[in-house]
Amino acid sequence: MFQKVLIANRGEIAVRIMRTCREMGLRTVAVYSEVDSRALHVMEADEAVFLGPAEPSESYLHIAKIIEAAKSSGAEAIHPGYGFLAENPNFAEVCEDAGLTFVGPPGRVIRDLGNKPMARRIMASAGVPVIPGMMQATEDLEGLSQEAAVLGYPLLLKAAAGGGGKGMRVVSEPEAMREACLSAMSEAEKAFGDGSLYLEKQLDTPRHVEFQILADRHGHVVHLFERECSIQRRHQKIIEETPSPVMTPSLRETMGKAAVSAARAAGYVNAGTVEFLIDRSGKFYFLEVNTRLQVEHPVTEMTTGLDLVREQLCIATGDPLRFRQEDLFQRGHAIECRVYAEDPENSFFPCPGVALVHREPSGPGIRNDSGIYEGFRVPVEYDPIIGKVIAYGETREASRRRMIRALENYAILGIRTTIPYLIDILNSNEFASGALSTDFIERHFQGWRQSMEHADMAKVAYILHDLASPVKTPKGQKVHGWPTPWETLGEWKL
Amino acid sequence: MKYRLKADGETSEIEVSSTGNPQGLRITTADKDIEVAFQRISEHCLWMVVDGKATKAFVLPSSEGSHVFLAGRTYLVQDADRLAGQTLRRGVHDEAPKEVTPPMPSVVARVLVNKGDPVRKGQGLLVVTAMKMETTLAAPFDGTVKKIHVSINQKVAPGDLLVEIEKEVPADD
Repeated sequence: MFQKVLIANRGEIAVRIMRTCREMGLRTVAVYSEVDSRALHVMEADEAVFLGPAEPSESYLHIAKIIEAAKSSGAEAIHPGYGFLAENPNFAEVCEDAGLTFVGPPGRVIRDLGNKPMARRIMASAGVPVIPGMMQATEDLEGLSQEAAVLGYPLLLKAAAGGGGKGMRVVSEPEAMREACLSAMSEAEKAFGDGSLYLEKQLDTPRHVEFQILADRHGHVVHLFERECSIQRRHQKIIEETPSPVMTPSLRETMGKAAVSAARAAGYVNAGTVEFLIDRSGKFYFLEVNTRLQVEHPVTEMTTGLDLVREQLCIATGDPLRFRQEDLFQRGHAIECRVYAEDPENSFFPCPGVALVHREPSGPGIRNDSGIYEGFRVPVEYDPIIGKVIAYGETREASRRRMIRALENYAILGIRTTIPYLIDILNSNEFASGALSTDFIERHFQGWRQSMEHADMAKVAYILHDLASPVKTPKGQKVHGWPTPWETLGEWKL
Repeated sequence: MKYRLKADGETSEIEVSSTGNPQGLRITTADKDIEVAFQRISEHCLWMVVDGKATKAFVLPSSEGSHVFLAGRTYLVQDADRLAGQTLRRGVHDEAPKEVTPPMPSVVARVLVNKGDPVRKGQGLLVVTAMKMETTLAAPFDGTVKKIHVSINQKVAPGDLLVEIEKEVPADD
């Protein structure tokens, strides 16, 4: 096992990874940009290396600087977290060339699976069902139109190098095809440097269900069951849970086997996620592989009792998996809510600023993976995820109620967050019934506005705070006039 | 004491009075008359018991009003009276202490001077009341009353500039 690990990330995931490292007796190295000099992940680490300006390309995405930071600090391994360089095959290869262990799959595997049509070909040859569509990408508009005619509408136009919904378009009729292709191509070119596209049939109100897999360097592969991530806004997951309300033991077994086959076919090593879509009829199709630890991994940890970061580090150091598929089981139910510094009443505009009040919820079955603290200035340059709240309960209903209680007690002031929005989603009949699909938000929560049911109580709180405030006089200025009752009464309570 | 508070575009009048019981307050609105008990836990945190139900609230004052967190939701509560009386210039902490400002949120009861009056340090300028208690605000130094920014019954808060005194320049020796 290594002695020292550098975490090439920031925010909540960097903190989370460091916690496991600390528990395992490993020393940690943080990297940070100008706006993160007082960030939680910097304070959590044993050492910190300054990278440069806030701009990601000058800091968290700067491969040379990060490698240099590892070398100068003596770190032997680099954990990339998620986002940033986690799925950059060059980075993985540069690490290996520099004699550093990259905690993740080999660069070649990241590259293969990062090319979506290639991933589809690998899966198809392994007998994993894939969404009907093209198996090669192209920039040829005519070719795309012809394929579209064969595939039928509605369909999804996707970027070969894509992710996060970029370069993706829904096309409902032939007339819209050309325009959609041109705009998707240009968006993909800008975002990934590769404008090639491919087509997939659009499934009817599918559910997004993914399987966590772990693979060691010795050919052992297991799955750690599924996560349902259908609650998405603009292709960003916001609420995830396990088990999936729609899963049956036999479907789980079939999909689990498919996920393991997928991982083997790709030569996968370390932690990864095989994403599927399940259509209305219950048929499942391969969507893509995420070659990293995912944001929503905690729900798997809560129900399996495992520490995925620990498993990642053990695999990276060459240990074989300590368990076989038949040793693994899930218990209870876990839900995760992502908390973003965004204004849900204003098109989810990011709301950077200082979190003047930040009180996390606690209690049985509550886990907080927050990346900030009270008084921290949330920077504008990065993804506005503040953290995650995970609620574990015996049943889905128990964890749903637990999550609502937790969010109602998660006080954040000074920046707007998505907390009230999440509470309303969890309280909805649609969520409670488990009737989820990837168009859930679109169908039930468009144009959301915070309910004013507590407005009267808020006014009372305002008044009480006004009256209870100990007087703050400007520094150096004495209170003019006779001493006030607030000073003369001495110790008192209302 | 009366408040006119606005939250989400809706303004309502709320009357606050003390009950016989030192542990509580009476809150009266157009359709409610309730007793409230509360305790300040920390700078921003309040524990309140309303109608027998206990709740924790967090209040963060700002220049645009106070942000109140309650049961997972955040509300911007504004004092409609203060919004209307925006002519009051808010004192800034760094400025030299030549401002007369109330020590707590209160109402102007009496104004004791006029514009142009010479005043001595310690001389009473105006009287404010809050919760049935009166406080006289005095001149911080010798000078002349330059401007009176308030009128009787106006609601004021710490930081507001109530009376401007032009400091008397000491004669050269």
